Amino acid sequence: MRILKGNPVSRGIALAKGYIYRAFKADVHESYFEPGQEAVKYKQFTDAVAAAEAELNAIVTSLSAESPEKAKIFTAHIEILNDEEVAEGVKDMIFSSRAMPDYAVDMVFSEFALLLEKAKDPLIAARSADLRDVRNRVLRILKGEKEQNLANLREKVVVVAHDLLPSDTATLDRAHVMGIITEVGGATSHTAILAQSYKIPAVLGVPEATEIVHNGDMVILDALKGQVLLEPDRATIAEYEAKLEEFLKSEKQSAEFLNRIPLVASGERFSVGLNIGTTEPDEGFKYVDFVGLFRTEIVYMESEHMPTEDEQFAAYRKVLANAMGNPVTLRTLDIGGDKTLRYLALPKEDNPFLGNRALRLCLDMPEMFKTQLRAALRASAFGPMQIMFPMVGTMDDIRAGNAAVEEAKAELRAEGIPFDEKINIGIMIEIPSIAMIADMAAKETDFASVGTNDLTQYLHAVDRMNPKLTNYYQSSSPAMFRILGRIFKEYNEAGKPISVCGELAGDPLAAIVLFGLGLRKFSMNASNIAHVKRTLSLFTLAETEQIAKKVINMETQADVEAYLKTEVAKREQKPIAITTK
Amino acid sequence: MYSKQTILKNLTGLHARPASEFVACAKSFESKVTVRRLDVDGAPEANAKSIIKILAQGLSVNTPIEISADGPDEHAAVEKLVELIDSKFGED
Repeated sequence: MRILKGNPVSRGIALAKGYIYRAFKADVHESYFEPGQEAVKYKQFTDAVAAAEAELNAIVTSLSAESPEKAKIFTAHIEILNDEEVAEGVKDMIFSSRAMPDYAVDMVFSEFALLLEKAKDPLIAARSADLRDVRNRVLRILKGEKEQNLANLREKVVVVAHDLLPSDTATLDRAHVMGIITEVGGATSHTAILAQSYKIPAVLGVPEATEIVHNGDMVILDALKGQVLLEPDRATIAEYEAKLEEFLKSEKQSAEFLNRIPLVASGERFSVGLNIGTTEPDEGFKYVDFVGLFRTEIVYMESEHMPTEDEQFAAYRKVLANAMGNPVTLRTLDIGGDKTLRYLALPKEDNPFLGNRALRLCLDMPEMFKTQLRAALRASAFGPMQIMFPMVGTMDDIRAGNAAVEEAKAELRAEGIPFDEKINIGIMIEIPSIAMIADMAAKETDFASVGTNDLTQYLHAVDRMNPKLTNYYQSSSPAMFRILGRIFKEYNEAGKPISVCGELAGDPLAAIVLFGLGLRKFSMNASNIAHVKRTLSLFTLAETEQIAKKVINMETQADVEAYLKTEVAKREQKPIAITTK
Repeated sequence: MYSKQTILKNLTGLHARPASEFVACAKSFESKVTVRRLDVDGAPEANAKSIIKILAQGLSVNTPIEISADGPDEHAAVEKLVELIDSKFGED
């Protein structure tokens, strides 16, 4: 038996066959064949096109019923595949230059992709990504490699990949993916957030996992401890089957807290919010007081073009309709960094997390920003909503964001289109520079929400995507709690609502400290609600305040975590596994 | 060889769905069919049966174009494609 270690980012246990998911990498060199082979080589190309079309048709069929929008992407791919000029170009290179089919395909598709990239209309330029996608499909078939996607799995598997891209996860077959293992990625990567919201156990940052695990091998994924067990013996399998049962039981036990009104032991009420990343109904809406974070990126990622104002308006209204009356905090587009859009070519940056992302990018692309703000404002006429800007660093950012909102409002007023005139506009606090002037920020914002993932990254100067640095990424460090305490104090004193919508709010141990520091609004993924409600119910307000005071004077994160675990254990009648990262 | 000129009247222009419909329609004819924009000097003739070449023209609303066909069904091809464009592809 072999044990691999990684970062458990989404709690749970899975026992299933490993499924290696390797995105195809085209490796094409300039090469030619001997005269006389023309017809054979050309047939290889036409056969590959036929096979590619069959694959695409199968994808379209399987997606049509459930996600017609996603199916459209692949219908467009069939169209490109059957493009007459592409076929002519490849044929010409094969017959006139005796270019090997893969080289010819690569050359012709690349040339056409460049042609589209030069188009003035960004929507057309963005289609070049589709051309490259189709090219890769044909090249893969020419190389004799099998199709890989996560949309249609035949059996229950644990997916093992280098990394999962948003486009991979958009089509993920949730019924068959029992667990996720990736070589890169930390607690706050796209994959981690997805795994948590789908409640799929996940261990990330397992080096060389795709080399070590083999397709079809039995894999035990222990996403409580952060372990992957390979070639387990019978005893281990039996042990883990028992553990899985126990885990499900403890989940159920905590689940009894799902429905409870969130109270600490001394009777003070706190609010629990839900973080969402889709426009679909979510069971979690039933158990919360508000939606602390609606990530609007999904509306952009599921589209094959920049979504129009009407498309966004429809999506935001849908969220309001699903939210069961909970006020929804709509966060404006947060792309750049690790999140990109297939149809929006952004220049490569040396330090994307310190780059032109989120609000900065929106201010840089005022038309795109205004479209979103108008759509959001229009939706605000249909249910309680507030708007929040990500990546705010200065008062200038707040003022520029607010000005953009005022401009969109003025347009709508002039057009006689209704919206909520009193809509609250707030900010994410995730850059230390704005945290340090939270008193001033509170004066010019209606509310704020702390994004602890990015705040940790920027406060500790740790790239959260770098698996080598997971030990340096310390979201429960004394430094973090000190800066959080300061933010809460300033907003509470100003009488403006303050919440946390980062991972820390859903971490039951950290939640004790946050409560003690004055936080009353915790927004999290659905899977953490019961655990946080239960853990906080064990403590009185005075106890949390004493604990918070101690914690901010501790020296290391390890000290903090050990101390908090002991405090919880003391109060647990029947100890259950309260797991943190 | 048969040609006819028209102006794109639908808001989307020859992008997205209208482009797909236009190319599919062109492909239903045997003749060689091309599209050329008239507002740019020396604009190339784009193969109307190639979705990529059509998209690359960036033909937006109000662009004047010329559709030409050469082959056994050239007349029908041009008339049908002009009719499709003038129908605004069912928009508005």
